[in-house]
Amino acid sequence: MPPRLDELTMARRAASELQPGQVVALGSGLPARVAEIVPSGAPVQLLSDGGVLGYKLPDNGEGASGPSLCGPNGVSVALGKDGSVVGTADWAAMLRGGHVDMAIVQPARVSAAGDLLGWTTAATPGLFAPGRTVDLAAGGRKLIAMLPHTSSDNSPNIVTESFPVADGRGCVDIIITDIAVMRVEDGALVLAEVAPGWSYDDVVSLTGAPLAPPGDLKEIAPSLEPLNIERPGKVFPDGPSAITDLHDGASVMIDGFGGPGGMAHHLLVSLRDRGTRGLTIISNTIGIARIVNFGTPAGKLAIDHSILVENGQVAKAIATYPVSPSASRPSTFELAYRRGEVELELVPQGTLAERLRAGGAGIYAFYTPTGAGTLIGEGKESRVIDGKEYILEQALTADFCLIRGHKADTLGNIVYKGTSRNFNAVMAPSARVTIVEVDEVVEAGELDPELIVTPGMYVDRLVVRPEGFSPYE
Amino acid sequence: MLQGKLYGSPQAAVADIQDGSTILVAGFAGYGVAERLLSALLEVGSKDLTLIYRDGPYSEMGSGPLPSIENLVSNGQVSKLISPIPYSPGGGGTIEEWWQAGQLEIEIVPQGILVERLRAGGAGIGGVFLPTAVGTRFESGRERRTFPQGEAVLELPLKADYALIKVAVADTLGNSIYDGSSRNWAPVMAMAARITVAEAERIVEPGELDPEAIISPGIFVNRIVAAA
Repeated sequence: MPPRLDELTMARRAASELQPGQVVALGSGLPARVAEIVPSGAPVQLLSDGGVLGYKLPDNGEGASGPSLCGPNGVSVALGKDGSVVGTADWAAMLRGGHVDMAIVQPARVSAAGDLLGWTTAATPGLFAPGRTVDLAAGGRKLIAMLPHTSSDNSPNIVTESFPVADGRGCVDIIITDIAVMRVEDGALVLAEVAPGWSYDDVVSLTGAPLAPPGDLKEIAPSLEPLNIERPGKVFPDGPSAITDLHDGASVMIDGFGGPGGMAHHLLVSLRDRGTRGLTIISNTIGIARIVNFGTPAGKLAIDHSILVENGQVAKAIATYPVSPSASRPSTFELAYRRGEVELELVPQGTLAERLRAGGAGIYAFYTPTGAGTLIGEGKESRVIDGKEYILEQALTADFCLIRGHKADTLGNIVYKGTSRNFNAVMAPSARVTIVEVDEVVEAGELDPELIVTPGMYVDRLVVRPEGFSPYE
Repeated sequence: MLQGKLYGSPQAAVADIQDGSTILVAGFAGYGVAERLLSALLEVGSKDLTLIYRDGPYSEMGSGPLPSIENLVSNGQVSKLISPIPYSPGGGGTIEEWWQAGQLEIEIVPQGILVERLRAGGAGIGGVFLPTAVGTRFESGRERRTFPQGEAVLELPLKADYALIKVAVADTLGNSIYDGSSRNWAPVMAMAARITVAEAERIVEPGELDPEAIISPGIFVNRIVAAA
């Protein structure tokens, strides 16, 4: 048989699947070697469960390097200019929430149906230690399995039989071995590429599953060409240009606490000017700053959610504070509600934050004690766990999210200022399109990676708040 | 009046760990491990411990052999481990031997599930429905349900008596920041334990840390010990 591919060539082949702007989570073993291939300044972010989003190996790295950053295989890594430090809970949420474009793992075996088996040891059969494999398998939007085509005893690692127990079911999309590239299509394997000198029959003889021949069998020839393409830009010239696809009937998360601080006022005005109707607004208040007048200059009105309600654009609110604290000064939403023009789903503040986090973190539902035994619990499943009553609350997601940041870099990494942080960290990951209004956009690498609260992977569009813009009108 | 959180020695900070306690041990591949607190736990000698941690023995990290999970096991202090990677595969070693001899219980939990169960424990959540384990060996014995997003499995919260974490800088009120990969499990573990003990590289006065930078607020950190 011709020689097999070495590990670095396999890694190069895996790296040629990467596309500009992607977030890619690597497992240990062969997948970790993909980091050796990704060139300096490549427009992809490698994610390590060592808590680094956007890492490079020191040799092909840029930016800060040091002993304090760790790759998936435990080795010291450098931080790319696009990088930030994340905790393990963030790592898991990124994967489960569907924010990782591609995951690459090294399983022990893969079945024709795309199931995978993690490793165990001869000494301790039955004691599987999947580490991160189960999370990567379940979480990556696309999953590549890298493994030797056969075991040391020459038995095939690619097999037909489904595993009685597995570490991932139907999750593998592409298999890269030391002799071939295969795709899992409709529960069956298609041979796509072979190592130089290998024939279709050679590969079939070492494979424990039927392998459909492709129309056009190619030789493995990795290309890193896509990594020379720049990422799509995220900075939009102004609010109106950033929301041209915000459609009638959309659900929109809007940040803000009580007062006028911490709200994407410019985007709110842009949305009012756009006139989009039938909106579902998910927010803490649905506009009380305007009526309460926290520090509003005389003769002015604070800009808040009320401007959308006044303009007849809101059909429903999912909110915590829909009403004014003063009965004599009802909020715009309150008046519209009394007139029967809008619907309301009332959510306690902590539950709102947790439902939003769940939406972004791939948690489908959760039990919370908040609201159990109250009106909030009516119509919801109630359950006693460890002697305490909980109610089941569902994750919240939305089409759009309009939030206020302080500084962003061009890749969308965000830091907030004071109370403006409020719901933003949990809203940004849970909307399909997240748009952030900031005071300033700086170059990638200028923000302290330890301070980044919302990584750019959660941010689709950036708008700089116009100079001299007033949150009052 | 706030009770002081500073302890004079790692031994003093872990002296009250009772037999049978559940302890969270932060760390990822040797990064962010509270080495002095683990050494002190060896000296204190509490037994029948359940340890929850990410990964196994790290003998080559730092300036010399680390006091590790493995040392606590070989010292006869541990009855149960909960971890995604309890020991180095195929490396033999104490943990594997004790498990084979039936002297040690091991519960394997995938990393992302384990960290979310700890977060649930720390955040007062009664349980979370996660898609991760669906169809895998880790679904076994758990409730599965269908949601609009798909199938998910109920994962129950985990809490502990103690957490041993390593921080870069703590102020005397316990507000803490981390250094790079040392952050890993610590913020979640600090929330999930009744008593969190932080081994701090540096200890400063309140007000010295940038409030925007604090990752673990002092309410989650009960005791502070200098790392050196």
